[in-house]
Amino acid sequence: MPNVLEVQDVSKSFGGVHAVQGVSFSIRAPGIYGLIGPNGAGKTTLFDIICGRQFADAGDIRLGGACIGCLPAHRRTRLGLARTFQECRVLDEETCLDNVLFAAQDKRLRSELAQGISRRGQGTATLEAQRLLELVNLRHLSGELAGNLSFGQRRLLEIISSLIAQPRLLLLDEPASGINPTLLNTLHDFLLRIFAERQIVLLIVEHNMEFIMSLASRILVMHQGRLLEEGPPALVQSSQKVIEAYLG
Amino acid sequence: MGVTLTALLEQIANGTMMGAIYVLVALGLVLIFGVMEVLNFAHGVVFMAGGYACDFFFVHLFGNYPAVVILTMLTLALVGLALERAVFRRLRVNVPMQIVASLGLILMAQNAAVLLFGPSALQLSVPTVHSLIRVGDLSFTVQHVVVIVAAVAAIVLLQAFLHWTKLGIALRATSQNPDAARVVGIDPDRIYRITFAVSCALAGLGGALLGPLFLISPQMGDLPMLKGLTAIVLGGMGSIPGAIIGGLAIGIIEAVSTLFISTDYRDMVVFVILIAILLVRPWGLFGVRVRGEA
Amino acid sequence: MRARATRLTAGVLFAAIVYLLAWAFDHSPYVLFALTLTLCYAIPAMALNLLLGYTGLVSLGHMGFAGIGAYVTALLMKKGGLAFAPSLLAGTLAAGLAGVLVGVPCLRLRGHFFIIVTLAVGIVLFLLFNNLDWLTGGAAGLPGIPRPRSIDLGVAVLDPRRPVGFYLAAATIFLLVFAIQYGLVHSDFGRSLAAIRQDETLAASRGVDVFAHKLAIFALSAAIAGLGGGLLAVFLRAVAPQSFGFLEDINLVLIVIVGGAGSLFGPTLGALLFIALPEALRIADSVRMLLFGLALLALALLAPRGLWGLALTAAQRLRGAQSAVSHAERS
Repeated sequence: MPNVLEVQDVSKSFGGVHAVQGVSFSIRAPGIYGLIGPNGAGKTTLFDIICGRQFADAGDIRLGGACIGCLPAHRRTRLGLARTFQECRVLDEETCLDNVLFAAQDKRLRSELAQGISRRGQGTATLEAQRLLELVNLRHLSGELAGNLSFGQRRLLEIISSLIAQPRLLLLDEPASGINPTLLNTLHDFLLRIFAERQIVLLIVEHNMEFIMSLASRILVMHQGRLLEEGPPALVQSSQKVIEAYLG
Repeated sequence: MGVTLTALLEQIANGTMMGAIYVLVALGLVLIFGVMEVLNFAHGVVFMAGGYACDFFFVHLFGNYPAVVILTMLTLALVGLALERAVFRRLRVNVPMQIVASLGLILMAQNAAVLLFGPSALQLSVPTVHSLIRVGDLSFTVQHVVVIVAAVAAIVLLQAFLHWTKLGIALRATSQNPDAARVVGIDPDRIYRITFAVSCALAGLGGALLGPLFLISPQMGDLPMLKGLTAIVLGGMGSIPGAIIGGLAIGIIEAVSTLFISTDYRDMVVFVILIAILLVRPWGLFGVRVRGEA
Repeated sequence: MRARATRLTAGVLFAAIVYLLAWAFDHSPYVLFALTLTLCYAIPAMALNLLLGYTGLVSLGHMGFAGIGAYVTALLMKKGGLAFAPSLLAGTLAAGLAGVLVGVPCLRLRGHFFIIVTLAVGIVLFLLFNNLDWLTGGAAGLPGIPRPRSIDLGVAVLDPRRPVGFYLAAATIFLLVFAIQYGLVHSDFGRSLAAIRQDETLAASRGVDVFAHKLAIFALSAAIAGLGGGLLAVFLRAVAPQSFGFLEDINLVLIVIVGGAGSLFGPTLGALLFIALPEALRIADSVRMLLFGLALLALALLAPRGLWGLALTAAQRLRGAQSAVSHAERS
């Protein structure tokens, strides 16, 4: 069985800044994984490289054994990768339901053109979309424009939209940022539930330690572009190297 | 080869003169774009207004060309203030509506010119157009020299303004980082007003300088504006040195090209260059390549 | 389901109105002329709307593609002796091909750069129309394009030489393009385009091949513009380069934006305003053009979503605003 995600010796520099230096790790089995590190550690850059928003200067990315490092972002999505953005991106001018349905839509150009005028009625996709909206307490806002939602609601909408296409790897970029404590609990429980249901890989970049430590079974720590430490939360929290990186 | 050195020198001189005009237009465009991120498509009619204003002042006020040129610049600066206040301030983020507003202004201005001055072109007769200078086999009007000298003077003054005055430095700060500028107490609205005023004054100067050489007509600003646009793309969209070099380059390339291809296609040369730059190196000679997504 | 039935009824009603106008103005050839001209321009307007209003790509040189369609159609009919339908088809395909050739290198560019390059392409096309004398007739253009032959429909004969006849032919093509516009907008393809307009990065991360979609719609939009150009050429029986120059490019953009970009009826409304109205007012003399310009300025400042957006807002206000945040006010 090939590993779900393999990152091999990935490096990326901007001008003279080495954002990512020779990072390697693999994720073998479904689980919730955390990626933490002080500011400037290179977490978001690494994320962008895995997803295809940036291309690495060197190194390989493999998804389920297939090399995706040279593929553009949209091709990686079709292979089972999904992501959310730190700044939270949704389609503001569409309704919540349409946001989720769009994510489920088959976006290959040929299929779209062959589909013709499509009915947005009671298909399986719609039922699944409504179920997901229900799970995060947004069902009553299905017909509301995403642009009118609160930030926390948009965050939840973004996450369920990423899930409907049944990805095997979901990357979440600071999902807890800007969320109030109540909604944070909802998010926490929702992520656990999704994992229980689907057995996928969740890779989460986070600054909120409490949040990520209680979710993830394994944590990766980055510092100054390199992978510093790797292991279960308890190990990482007591690691001298990690403590120094944050304090220093 | 049928191209003599004399012919080449003549075209280079012509090209430098036209290039000077394009530089003035380009500087106006690059200032507004650099500071406000607005592409002022109506810049051509400001240029035209400069030509008409100059003619009006010369004929009806006093026949002193240098004084009239200064007066034209001041008048157009006021027009710039009005434009910024009334139109462009509100449209900063709305690009389609910027285009609509610009086009509305073009229609208004060109038709106002027809109504006020008649549909046929005007001929502005100033002394400098009638006296000639001879250099070897070549002869130019004094106006050719005036254009180049005036443009150089304007560039020098502009650079002095931008680098040695508080207001100028504030303007440059705003174009580089509007939020930081605001934090240190610079009022962006004031900067936008000044930018528009300076930009329109430069365009007005261009029109006042070109007017006597060719005819003054409602469409006289259209091609200069498009070529000024090409110049700033060539030079790099936010760069002032780029605008200067770009404008000169366009002027000279355009003039020299007439030695090799029919004059019918002279305008096309500039636009083909524009397309080529955009496809090969859109950030121009001195622009900053934006580090964006893959 | 009910929504679909309503839409179908509305569509049929719209088509009926368009056709019935022919009989309403049967004895006013001048009105028919203005209306036919409007339909001819509404076609490239709808084409540009697909690009600008739905996908968010501002193309300032789109009449250039209409010009390609016009010249190819005209040349095939006049010099090649071909019939109307195949000539028009060829013109459409030629424009579509040009759209691909222009789109491949230019669609990589973003924002202001894309706008400027389309402007330059439009001007270069105009200069080619104006200067390739041996092919395009140069500044004088191509006069004397033959009229299409009459079509025997069984119950009646459609004679394009009569104003009514040509109007009906133009109306049919117009409605066909309108239907295509409708179909595209309400398809999965259209939804991907809307996503591209709102957030390209998000669209890509959701699996949309942004470049392929942009190229597809650009080529299609160019082809439809070419169709409009060909129709215009045959209607006016002549092609001249001035019809496809810088001012005409601007005019088309205004038609789309002022009419209401991103709406189905906007381009038609815009065409009525910019084409039929000046005709109705007899001449576009300087005072009128000046007031026109003033009106545009007012529109840009007061109605950011164009006339159609204004109409929608007005209709919503009449119905009484129920939701706290109105859709039309989100601009």
